[in-house]
Amino acid sequence: MNANHVATVGGERVARLVSSNALLVVIVAIGLVFSLVQPAFLTAENLVGIVRQVSMIGIMALAMTFVIMTGGVDLSIGPVLALSGLVAVFALDADHPLPVVLAAALGVGLLIGLVNGVVIAAFDLPPILVTLSMLSIVRGTALLLGGPEMHSIRGQPGYSFIGTGSILGIPFSVYLFGAIAALMLVVQRQTTFGLLVAALGDNERAAFLSGHNTRLTKAVLYALSGVCAALAGIIQSSQVHTGAATYGEFGIELDVIAAVVLGGTSLMGGNGSVARTLLGVLFLGVMNNGMNILDVPIDIQLIAKGVIIALALALSEFRQGHGGR
Amino acid sequence: MNRRASTYALPFFLALTFAFFCVFAPRFATSANLENLMAGYAFVAIVAIGQSFPILLKGIDLSIGAIVALAGIVTLDLSLIFHWPGLAVIPAVLVVAALAGAVNGLLIVYLRLQPFIATLATLAAYRGLVFLISGRQLFPELSTTPITDPWIVALDTYFDIGSALGVSDFIQLPGLPLSFVILVVLLIGFQVLLLATRFGRDLYAVGGNHEAARLAGIRTRRVTILAYTISGTCAGVAALLLVARLTTSTEALGNGMELTAISAAVIGGVSLQGGVGTAWGPVLGAFLLGVVLIGLTLLGVTQFVQQILTGAILLAAVCQSRLIAARQQRRTDAALVAGG
Amino acid sequence: MDSSTPVIEARGLSKVYGSVTALADADFRVMPGEVRALVGANGAGKSTLIKILTGAIAPTSGTVTVNAEPAALGSPTEMIRRGVACIYQHSNLAPAMTVLDNIFLGRQPTRRFGFLDRKRQREMARALLDLHGIQLDLDAVVSTLPTVKQKEVEIMKALALDARVLLMDEPTGWLSASEVAKLHDTIRALKTRGVGIVYISHMLDEIYAVCDTMTIMRDGRIVAQSAVSEMPRPRMVELMVGEKLARDASDAAHLQRKPHGSGEVRLRCTRLSRLGAFTDVSFELHAGEILCITGLIGAKRTELVQAIFGSHPFDEGTMELNGARVKFRSPGEAMAHGVGFVPEDRHREGLMLGLSVTENLIMTTLDRCRRGPALLRKRIEQVSRDAIRALNVRPADGRLAVRQLSGGNQQKVLLGKWLNLGPGVLMLDEPTVGVDVGAKAEIYSILRAERDKGTAILVVSSDLEEVMTIADRIAIMVSGRMVSVQSANELTMADIVREIGRKAA
Repeated sequence: MNANHVATVGGERVARLVSSNALLVVIVAIGLVFSLVQPAFLTAENLVGIVRQVSMIGIMALAMTFVIMTGGVDLSIGPVLALSGLVAVFALDADHPLPVVLAAALGVGLLIGLVNGVVIAAFDLPPILVTLSMLSIVRGTALLLGGPEMHSIRGQPGYSFIGTGSILGIPFSVYLFGAIAALMLVVQRQTTFGLLVAALGDNERAAFLSGHNTRLTKAVLYALSGVCAALAGIIQSSQVHTGAATYGEFGIELDVIAAVVLGGTSLMGGNGSVARTLLGVLFLGVMNNGMNILDVPIDIQLIAKGVIIALALALSEFRQGHGGR
Repeated sequence: MNRRASTYALPFFLALTFAFFCVFAPRFATSANLENLMAGYAFVAIVAIGQSFPILLKGIDLSIGAIVALAGIVTLDLSLIFHWPGLAVIPAVLVVAALAGAVNGLLIVYLRLQPFIATLATLAAYRGLVFLISGRQLFPELSTTPITDPWIVALDTYFDIGSALGVSDFIQLPGLPLSFVILVVLLIGFQVLLLATRFGRDLYAVGGNHEAARLAGIRTRRVTILAYTISGTCAGVAALLLVARLTTSTEALGNGMELTAISAAVIGGVSLQGGVGTAWGPVLGAFLLGVVLIGLTLLGVTQFVQQILTGAILLAAVCQSRLIAARQQRRTDAALVAGG
Repeated sequence: MDSSTPVIEARGLSKVYGSVTALADADFRVMPGEVRALVGANGAGKSTLIKILTGAIAPTSGTVTVNAEPAALGSPTEMIRRGVACIYQHSNLAPAMTVLDNIFLGRQPTRRFGFLDRKRQREMARALLDLHGIQLDLDAVVSTLPTVKQKEVEIMKALALDARVLLMDEPTGWLSASEVAKLHDTIRALKTRGVGIVYISHMLDEIYAVCDTMTIMRDGRIVAQSAVSEMPRPRMVELMVGEKLARDASDAAHLQRKPHGSGEVRLRCTRLSRLGAFTDVSFELHAGEILCITGLIGAKRTELVQAIFGSHPFDEGTMELNGARVKFRSPGEAMAHGVGFVPEDRHREGLMLGLSVTENLIMTTLDRCRRGPALLRKRIEQVSRDAIRALNVRPADGRLAVRQLSGGNQQKVLLGKWLNLGPGVLMLDEPTVGVDVGAKAEIYSILRAERDKGTAILVVSSDLEEVMTIADRIAIMVSGRMVSVQSANELTMADIVREIGRKAA
């Protein structure tokens, strides 16, 4: 075994290690580059700030992972986010106690998600179109309910804590995100539901023939997506002390989908991982934050985002097509 | 036989809704309103035609709205910053739009990205590019300067067909917007392309069974890239018409238009499964949306309820196409029994 | 082109993947107007040979000549250009387009500027159809046609390309008996035009009905080539399977049968019908017996078991399980009553290829492996280990993704998943398709063991060898009707073949 051979074997092992954790490596690499140029990047404050920034998108991306794993997609999360924020505001105005407010807002998300899920599963309609029409319907409903104007929240310390409060220096929304992430991880790895979703995503027909109620599972997934969107809506309205039917503007669902897809989950359905979605979310957060810190103008940021997403996905396609697994 | 029926369902429904609003909505059946309808939805229809090409190939173009913005801003820049004559601006803008579409095709074919993802990425990139090159950002005073080039402004003309036909004494016909005429020309052109050329056959083949098309020697890569180029070009045409109408352009031009285009295409019978669709379907779909939305506005229904109804119409169209597919399947099964 | 030049000739073809030899030193030849059968068990090297001949892959060594001219290898378009066409099991047509357009897919004749010349296209199509005596509605949309017509469109498509040799891969998969006969007539017509045909099939009756010569492959090599008339069936099976194994199997079979079925009636079906599928099917299934339902594919046997299982319920008739009236409307319901179903297509319907062996094995018994919403890891590992050991799944690692296993081991995992359920009635649809000989034998002994435990087993199989090997009783279905049910000891293979052939419409 000569030196060349050893080097090659070693090189191969490194290559394999790198490729299977590609995203993590990229995140670390980009992070290092940013911190070299701008040391302020690596401060605890900034890093926490990144996670806080991506909390909302992150929560929605976690649920979207499951939806995409089954070959579907939920385009209606933006308006759901807006509507639930609005409902929370109105409930607060009506002097309802905090638990009722939260229940109402989350309930809205749950309901809409269920409608999505039932229509898609029971009538076997394409998810992209069903959730697209729901996007319009929910947005219209939100506007009907609250008009295009902003509705401010005044003097609601309990509610505002959700978005603006912090414990031990870390924002509460980060804890929420962390909790949901942990919950989803557990669900995916340790529960029958998680296994069912994986089975459904891999082979829906086989899952059905194995006696599982695939329709119910699918419907629940969309309900989950709705609830997470509602949670994001609560966090948003709490952060800015306002509810508006125009929040969750067009583009947010694409950001969420991008995070999931960057994490390696294929849009065609099949294998998907909550953990990897978290990486995808983190990646987007690091990129956004880094570019902001470096004072990159917004237009370049958008272009860079597009290019990087395209490259990252092309790489993962390439890897999958050439023997990677 | 049922294929015939479903072919006529949409025009019939459009006629029905049109008649409904003529009767019940005040001022709907006026020439001013009809002008408004034609001019207002001609470019939506053009974008919808463009969108149906990627959908025919089982893909999608999410960046079409961003390409509209890009084309619009290029028009603005070329006219107001570089002072190009309109005669040069128009082809230049079309080339830019076509290239933008081609990039989508290239990403999908050579980087093997999913269409959803590829056009998602270009959506972001083009929106960014728009801000980067926007004359309005670079020279803020331009945001209030109208474009006055005669060629471009001419795109917004209306033909007084009433006088031309000599009936203006009896009935006031709506002026025929040039944009509508352009739409009709494009419609005929693309419909002919789809039905009467080899390229059209190849499109349907690639969309219907990609692998079979490839094995049959069809240049699937070329077909794909061309389809997305067409989509981009249509966005460019729509942008020019919009800019002419507004005499300016904004960075938010075409925002959300991709969803309207997809809706119009699906309502128009273009199947997301690929391999099924026409050029006139999306046009009818776009005008159905237009009739409903304008009619409801005139009926005093708020914009918000309209949004709800737009979503509901799309949902209904999707359900209907599912029902047709199910009925088709049952008939195939029955044929199987009979033949076996 | 004279009739002594082979339409296609392969010399010394080999294909090696790393350390695996998929094909070794194959010499293969088809003359004009010859119908040559290509037989061999799965994994024997047939598909590798076909892929080389169609240009889908390039061989490691060897040459191929078409009409005495050497052909560039590894290029599908080249092979098509030279006149080598393959008709696959899956459809190679654009479903929403017409027959006319599909025949000339990608090559519709044009006038200037790419405009279609519809008139010429139609004339060319008519001429082609008339030449070969095929009836097709040129304006029909392909997806509305019955399968045999679609196959005919594929054949026409190949002939429109001036194909000189047609490879047909399992051409009668979805055809009824009468449709098979029609296809064979088409093949005979093609023969007279000098087209060479390679008929790849497992259906021995068809081979003896329409083929002139046969090539038998085993373990990557061609083990025999002869005229069909000079190859008796038992000898053919021996060559395919390997002599000793075949003899052992048939000896063992007779000893193992339990022709009178030991137990009570577990499942009784009376006059089951479903529109467009089967009619008036009645039979009984006893505990402790293996009942094989055989027939040509298209006899709707799969539809019958699907109806029993509840994945596609029947319209009329009654079903009794252990004496109680039941009708399952979903697989879950059937499973709750102890009825299991191993589907035919393990890739599409049976297994989750991306999931691990363990995860697949517990897929039907999740309720026993959980407490509340949580999975019980230890119990799952135990169940998986036991199953892997009992079924001899190799490699014996529950963490491997199922797609990494060989066909035979995948089938064992699929079987294991259902055996875990401990069903009182187990139904299997073509349980050894694409399974190597060794795994086949293992599966048979597993089934016999289950039967001896008292399970009532229903096997749908088109493989007559298999039926004769494991059945205690044999039922024959033709075009959706069950025409006979008899003890296996009372039937020979020849009887079955006759029965199936006779009732064909």
